[in-house]
Amino acid sequence: MRAKFRIALLLALSLVMIITLAACGGSKEDKSASSDQPAQTGTKTDEGAAQETSPYKDKYDPPVTITTVWGVDPALKFKNGETIENNVATKWAQDTLGIDIQSLWSVTNTNNAYATKLRLAMTSGQELPDVLVVGNEDAQLIQDLIDSGAFQDAGALFDKYANEKWKTAMDLDKNVWNPYLREGKRMAIPILDYAYNNDYLLWIRQDWLDKLNMAAPTTIDELEKVMEAFKNNNPSGLSPDKVIPLSIGFKSSMNTWMGDPSWLFGAYGTIPQQWNVGADGKLEYGSINPAVKQGLAKLNEWYTKGFIPKEAALWDENKTSEPAVAGTAGIIPGPYWMSGWPLQDTAKNDPNAVWKPISLPTGPDGKAGRHGTPFSNGVILINKDMKNPEALFTYENYMFDNIADPQPGGPFENGLFKGYDYDVDASGNPVYGDENVQGGVVNAVRYLLVRDGARIPDAQMKALLGLANGKEATTRMEKDLKNNFGKETPAAAKVLMGQPNISFMNMYTGPSTETMQTKLDYLKKIEMQTFNEIIYGEKPADAIDKFVETWKSSGGDKMTEEVNAWYANLNK
Amino acid sequence: MTHLKKYWPLHLMVLPSLLFLIAFSYLPMGGIVMAFQNFKPRLGITGSEWVGLDNFRFLFEREDSIQVIWNTLLIAMLKIIFNLIAPFTFAIFLNEVRKELFKRYVQTMVYLPHFLSWVLLGGILLNVLSTDGGFVNRILESVGFDAIPFLMDGSWFRFTVVASDIWKEFGYGAIVFLAALSNVNPSLYEAAEVDGASRLKQTLHITIPAMLPITIVVGTLALGNVLNAGFDQIFNLYNPLVYDSGDILDTFVYRTGIIGGNMGFATAIGLFKSVISMVLIFISYRAAYKWANYRIF
Repeated sequence: MRAKFRIALLLALSLVMIITLAACGGSKEDKSASSDQPAQTGTKTDEGAAQETSPYKDKYDPPVTITTVWGVDPALKFKNGETIENNVATKWAQDTLGIDIQSLWSVTNTNNAYATKLRLAMTSGQELPDVLVVGNEDAQLIQDLIDSGAFQDAGALFDKYANEKWKTAMDLDKNVWNPYLREGKRMAIPILDYAYNNDYLLWIRQDWLDKLNMAAPTTIDELEKVMEAFKNNNPSGLSPDKVIPLSIGFKSSMNTWMGDPSWLFGAYGTIPQQWNVGADGKLEYGSINPAVKQGLAKLNEWYTKGFIPKEAALWDENKTSEPAVAGTAGIIPGPYWMSGWPLQDTAKNDPNAVWKPISLPTGPDGKAGRHGTPFSNGVILINKDMKNPEALFTYENYMFDNIADPQPGGPFENGLFKGYDYDVDASGNPVYGDENVQGGVVNAVRYLLVRDGARIPDAQMKALLGLANGKEATTRMEKDLKNNFGKETPAAAKVLMGQPNISFMNMYTGPSTETMQTKLDYLKKIEMQTFNEIIYGEKPADAIDKFVETWKSSGGDKMTEEVNAWYANLNK
Repeated sequence: MTHLKKYWPLHLMVLPSLLFLIAFSYLPMGGIVMAFQNFKPRLGITGSEWVGLDNFRFLFEREDSIQVIWNTLLIAMLKIIFNLIAPFTFAIFLNEVRKELFKRYVQTMVYLPHFLSWVLLGGILLNVLSTDGGFVNRILESVGFDAIPFLMDGSWFRFTVVASDIWKEFGYGAIVFLAALSNVNPSLYEAAEVDGASRLKQTLHITIPAMLPITIVVGTLALGNVLNAGFDQIFNLYNPLVYDSGDILDTFVYRTGIIGGNMGFATAIGLFKSVISMVLIFISYRAAYKWANYRIF
């Protein structure tokens, strides 16, 4: 009996020991990850150094390290056995700027994998990188990251270290900082994008129009006649059930970029799934505007007539481009740069295909509308424990000076990296395209620390309009636009800028409100469900009234109040 | 003490898995407190505000929560039932096959899908089941049926989800049953043959009774999954048109917890699921003991 008791005691004791050991191990790790001590000493030395000379240098010797993480686009290609962690761009940064970019982890970004991993890393207290780049597609995540308290006042660093070119670009739209303000501090640096980059227009098969002897449609009614002809009297001889006159999809959203249906609602006076300024000057959620009913009824009619894909509800953006590229679609909504990708590939399937950009058609009251593109497409977050925050500015200042709009004679006049996005032929002239660059072209600009390197919002449109008006291409951007963006791109930019006042941005860019946190998912769910059911004819268009009622009473009204409180505060 | 001296290698052998269990199953249980908090990563578990049962209340206050729970239960129950029947029947049939090579070939072929991920299968199913030129619908149309919207119609969606899950898992599930069958003493069959029992009678009176205990084990353990309708699968296949019949607790947790950043709520649902599962396992274990006189643990 005694012996048994002793064995049991021994077992229990060893169990306790194991638990304590495991717990100790855990807490030790926690300490090293979250302890402020090394960071404090780091800042101190920095401050000490700053008193003597600024830590900012154009090149660091010995090299400094910036850690980061990557969500790699599954379509991004690498060559020469390179990876996102180790490639021509990281080598370049090491050699030219003395900055060693190290990645803590990387993940192929499908099904929100990057956002999910970041969110888990944040919640479980894993080490966060020095520099974190997050796109606006994960807007809520950006807000949560800022609120996590792991990142520092980026605005102050920006004022201190950013160069004139970057600051001027940032000043083009004062609103870009708005979403990231916390008690007057700018907690993240917005990544600037080309203005109008995701504004869309309609791409139409001009060769079909020509064969049918029809003019480009300017109203919804005319558009219907064109779609009818594309389907039932197809100029390429396709049978009606093989043609998709208008390739759109709305698996995830009615407000997206390629294959986007939101312009149809725009023709009736609203843009769904974003906050618009209403008639009374207050913000209003677009999907509850009465105009939505007409838009949905129209989509239902088009579905019944076979103008839109049968499985549009299952189609995401990339899927909508498939029939366009296959030569079986007549019209696809999309950004002005689509002539380069993906529409360029149509020629492989239908050599006679000619895609031309046209303006968005107007509705019965002459209205038209599309969603706008924010001047910023993401943020740079700077870890509060980062030892050398000035290094990030060395990198980005260089980008703005040399890569944002490289001038003739500069180090990047022909392209980013020779043998990657361009090559030089025997006579020393730059050549582009898969057939000219050995091993194929890779989009090396995506390897850079901050997405797309650096962009000055108005630069691209200026260059494109210049080209469209017959200016000779001299700078690299102009040449690049001319060579790599598809030959219709300047024309598309002109079409886009021909309708400058119909672009409506999402006016609410703040963090998610209290009601959004608990109700937004449900509201989104019933919205998508109702929209889809009406389009597919499972419910009459009047079902939208019921939805609006439910939406308002289930938290929508409260959300609108909160959003407007934020908006009013902003305009003070 | 003498016991420990004699059997210490055994204790040593169990130590790694014990450590593993503690580190990955017991220690994280501390996180359960998040279910009762308005958890904010910046404040951590110690600093977040306590909200009592608010997270649970929120689950039942949502207008669609009953439907989501019902979807989860229905899909999970169908999966449990058919994932028991299909491998069971398949194992019996396969056991009757006398050609060893063919038997092995079939067995390998049917359990291969188990190793494919739903991300991959989701893409494949989307194409195969498309109403717009998908392989399955083209066959249906060529023999004169209408195309079936497998993924866009609510009731078909459930059918698709359950059927594709069975297709993926039944081969793998059959392994345990086949193992049970290989343990049946051949002399029983010989004796039955001498007594003039037909093959059908042999199956009914020897094969099936021999498989019953393992069936009860598998069935009982599966009951713990009654609120797991299969996140990977549904997430890769669903769309707004089938929210009514396809939205389950896990997809709902994903959208609010992971995408919406509401960790406390996600934990609350997780806890809710675990408690229900535990109760069900407990009940079925008791039932198995009482009526089938079978102890698992």
